[in-house]
Formats: sequence, structure tokens, C-alpha cells
Amino acid sequence: MREMIRAVNVRKTFTLSRRQMAIEKTHSNKKVALDGLTFTAYEGQIYGLLGPNGAGKTTMLRILATLIKADSGEAYVAGHEVSREAEKVRASIGFLTSELKLEDFFTPAYLFTFFGNLHGLSEDVIQKRRRELFEKFGIDRFAEVKVGDLSTGMKQKVSLVISIIHDPQVIVFDEPTNGLDVLTAKVVTDFLAELREQGKSIIISTHIFSLVEKLCERVGVIIGGKMVKEGTLEEIRGGQTLEDAFFEIYKETAGEQ
Amino acid sequence: MKNILTIVRKEFARFFKDKRLVIGTLILPGLLIFVLYSLLGSAFYEGDKISTVKVVNPSAVFAPIFEQASADSENSSGLKFETVEDNSQESVDALTAQLKAGEFQVLIVFPENFDEEIAVGKPAQERPEITVRYNSADTQSLSAYSAVTSLFDQTEDALSGLFNINYTQSGDVSTAQEATASYYSMLLPFLILTFLYSACMGIAPESIAGEKERGTIATLLVTPIKRSELVIGKIASLSVLSALSAIGSFIGTFLSMPKLMGGSIGDMFAAYSAGAYVALFAVMLSAVLLIVSLISILSAFAKSVKEATTFAVPVMILVMLLGLSSMMFGTVSALPVFFIPIYNCVQVMAQIFSMQFSPLCLLVTLASNAVYIVLLVLLLTKMFKSERVMFNK
Repeated sequence: MREMIRAVNVRKTFTLSRRQMAIEKTHSNKKVALDGLTFTAYEGQIYGLLGPNGAGKTTMLRILATLIKADSGEAYVAGHEVSREAEKVRASIGFLTSELKLEDFFTPAYLFTFFGNLHGLSEDVIQKRRRELFEKFGIDRFAEVKVGDLSTGMKQKVSLVISIIHDPQVIVFDEPTNGLDVLTAKVVTDFLAELREQGKSIIISTHIFSLVEKLCERVGVIIGGKMVKEGTLEEIRGGQTLEDAFFEIYKETAGEQ
Repeated sequence: MKNILTIVRKEFARFFKDKRLVIGTLILPGLLIFVLYSLLGSAFYEGDKISTVKVVNPSAVFAPIFEQASADSENSSGLKFETVEDNSQESVDALTAQLKAGEFQVLIVFPENFDEEIAVGKPAQERPEITVRYNSADTQSLSAYSAVTSLFDQTEDALSGLFNINYTQSGDVSTAQEATASYYSMLLPFLILTFLYSACMGIAPESIAGEKERGTIATLLVTPIKRSELVIGKIASLSVLSALSAIGSFIGTFLSMPKLMGGSIGDMFAAYSAGAYVALFAVMLSAVLLIVSLISILSAFAKSVKEATTFAVPVMILVMLLGLSSMMFGTVSALPVFFIPIYNCVQVMAQIFSMQFSPLCLLVTLASNAVYIVLLVLLLTKMFKSERVMFNK
């Protein structure tokens, strides 16, 4: 199987402001977010980064999306190294996270065309993709309504279709169902499964065990910025439920730390 | 280039589709300036109204001065003198009541035997006193009073034997056009620069700090667009919008200036050559690009629009002080001055308005500003690549 995402010994440390130090209740202004993370995700599979809040999942995905840079180590997406070939990486991925917002003033139709243009798509391709995706997610009925007037679920659908407007090979979704109602969450999970069937490589971060069990072939458990266990879903579970297996791993790691 | 245009189109769409933004940024400032300055001008000049001055016990010494002023009433003085024969106290009281009712504007009462007492030449404390009454609550009366006292001041000097006044020849050797140009060279560079900066400050923070604050900039940063294309697209669109806003304010000022300072718009247009207007446009464009780049950098540093505005205010004060420099120190011609950003724009504009325009100074200004703009764009591009700057929450 072809490797589509590979991280090798990725490290990332953040410098904290005084305010952040007070919030984190620490005297050090350095916080290790990723401590030598290594993993591989393959073509046609969904890879799940599983871990508690603050484990470093989002930081890893932001490095893959080229929004931030690793201090050391290497990461590759679709064969491109993320820091040296950032523009090629961005052209190959669809990135969705709750921190990416759409301008309230514009309509989904306008934003779809705008981001299509930024991805270098022709007008015909943009229109074709718009028909496909808007119909699939029911966006047609609010395509000309300003984003600011849409519900959270509607906004998430619009963000999702915009993130994959260019039909990327690799999809990077940070907490894809976070904050969504059950209906929209189901639409998103079904769509991820459909993309996998199309041969796309997908990496998601989550702390929802059922989502990982339902979608992922491979799982990486991150705790405190370290990859404490990585393998297929079955390997991670070890004959238990994923939830039980995770807390067993968590206790072991806490004991070590 | 295509990506730059896409960004420019989006910024324009964001601006022009928002009616409140268009009215508030492009139309309202110019309109308010026009109305405000016109009202101020009306208050100062009271239009072309002729004020009536009633004189009790007319003096032979002042008669030719008043006659001359009455003859000039339609052109410059705006005063028409009328003699009142009845000099009784009842008459003066009645006239005072009429003055208060606004029936005329100034009342002058000379003492009896005024001319004889002047001829004798008494010591200071025994000199005859002229009573001048006016209504300070009436702007026309106030304006007429000012003109009358000016006439007296001139005459008092003449009577003291210090010098003679020649009413037919002015002591001012400059032409009216040169005098107007001098006013404009002092005032307009400051106003233009203030309008440009205000316009940039109203638009640029929203586009960069606002996008950071709302999280929409990150959505742009994960597209394959180059950071430099994003920066150039933003600066180009913001510059056009800021220039449009500044032009709106400038038109408001330009149209109201004749009312504020006297004169006509036609005279103003005719005063400057086509080359001067082209040079003015070039220097304004250069200034707006420089200011937009500067405010964009401050906005990129800021976490929110509010913080960006806070950062931009001290710079605005500095820019305004530079704008005032032509008012305080006049124009300079030393070439090194034209390498100082913003100040060079003030000086070139002052040169243009005072009709002492030097193409070399303009060239140095445009070239040095182009270098500063490129450096600022490179710095902003670097900032857009920096996660510390773009995600500094």
C-alpha cells in the first residue's frame, strides 16, 4: 500500500505567554506539544489520532496542513515534505478544523467559487463540483444565504464542501463531528466512509471512540505529545473495546510518567 | 497574478456589497466635511451680505474712509455707512434697540466736536472716545464690527502720524492666486494626509486583524495561494478602497474650501497645471500604498481589530505632525528630505500647491517610497508565513 502521510520523529514546542503560563499553572514558558511523533497513514484508509484534549492531535494536523512548522523531524503528505513544499502539500490536501472559519458576510455559493479560484480550478470544474457537492449536502436550498445567517450544522457542511472543492488526494479533518447535531454528524461520517471508498487517504483527530471504531483502519494513541501506541484498530483494541483499551494504555502511560 | 486578482475581487465584493460600509467610508466623510466646512465658511463670511453701519455725529476726518468703504461694499468691505442727523440720547437709544432687533449691524457714535479735539491733539487719557455698538449674538453684526474696527485701527495709525494709508494701492505684493496657493500649500497636505490615513485606518485593520480575529485568515492560509500573492492582493485592494475614501473626503474639502477661505472653485482649478494634478495623483498614490502597508503590518501584529486600531493611533499622531510640518516650517528643497517617508509626500504636495513644484523631488519621493513599500510588503509576507504572528491568540 502506498504511504500517503508519514511523520518521522516530529517535535514541536510552543512558547507560552505569561497569561498562558498562568492558565497552565506552570513556571516554564515552554510547552512540549509533540515529542517525537512517528506514524504512517496509507492510501484508501482512514487513520485516527486518538487522545485526550491537549494531547497534541490538532498540533500534528496543523503541521500536516502547513499552518505551523515542526521544530524538528519530517512530515510528508502525498510525497511532499510539508515545510519545503508547503504549496504542493496545500494543493494535495483538504483540511477542515473548527478553527477555520468562513466569512459571515458571503454566501456559500460565492465562497465556493472564491476558493475554487484559489485552487486554480476552471469555471466549468467549479460549477460541476458545486452541483455534486451542494446537492449531496443539501446546500442548494441555502446557497444564496449569508453564512452568518446559517446554523452551526449548515456552516459545517459548507466548510466541508469548500475544504474538498479541489477533490484532494488526502483529507485532514480535526474533530470532524465536534459540535454537530446527530444528523449532521452522520452526514459527515458517511461522507468520510464514501471518500475512503473512492481511494482517498484520510486522517482524523478525535476523542470519540465510536467514531474511530466505525471509520478507522489504523489508530495512533497520543498522550502528552507522545505516540504511545500505534497500529491497526484490532492491534490497539487487543480483543477489548477501544474505550477499555485506551484507558488501559492511558493508565500505563500515566504510571510511567 | 490570477490569485492576486481573486483576492482583490473578494475584498472589493466584501466592501461594495456592504451598503453601510460604502456609505460610511466613501460618501459620509466627504459629505460631512463639505457640510461642516461650508457652514463654518458661511459663519465666517456671512455670504455676500452687505452690513449697514449707522453713524451719529459723523466725523469729517472719517468721512472719506467711510465713503470709500461704502463704495467698495459690493466688492470687499461689505459695509454700507449711513449718517444719522439726530444725535440726541433718545435717538441713540432707539438706534440701539433697532441694532438689537437686527435692523442694521453696527452703530458708531462720535463725540460732539470730535474733529476739533483731534486737531488739538490731547494727551492719551483726554482723547475723545468713539462708541461702537454691535450685537455679538448676531454673526453678521459680529463680522461687520470686525470690519469696522479694522478700519479704525488703520485710521488710528494714520492719525498718530506713524504712516499714511493709501487705499488705492495694496501693500501686499503677491497676487490673489499666489496668496491662495500659499494657503493651500500649508493646509491641504495636512488635510490630504489625514484623510488618507483615516481612510486606511478605517479599512485595513478590518481586512487583516479582523480576518485573524474571526479565524477566516487560516482558511485562506490552507489554500495553495502563495503568501506573497495574498499580501499583494490585500494591499492592492485596500489601497484602492482607501484612496477612494480619501478622494471622497478630498472632494468634500475641495468643494467647501472656497466657502471656507473665500474665492471660487473655478479659480482653484485654474490655478494649477495638468502636470501638477498628475504629480499630486502620483504622490497621493505613493502615500496611500505606504500607509496601507504600514497599517497592514500593525494589523498583522494585532490579535483583534481593536488592538490594531490601538496600534495605529500613535502612528496617526506622528503622520499628522508630519502633515503639519508644511504649515509650521513651510516648504523645503534639500534633496535628502525627500528620502524620509511620509514627510517627503507632505513636502512634494506643499511644493505642488505653492506652485514651486520640483520634478526631481517628486522622482526621489516616488522612488524611495517604492523601495519602502516593497520592503514593507516583504516584511508582511514574512509575517504571514509566521505562525507566531498569524496565530498569536
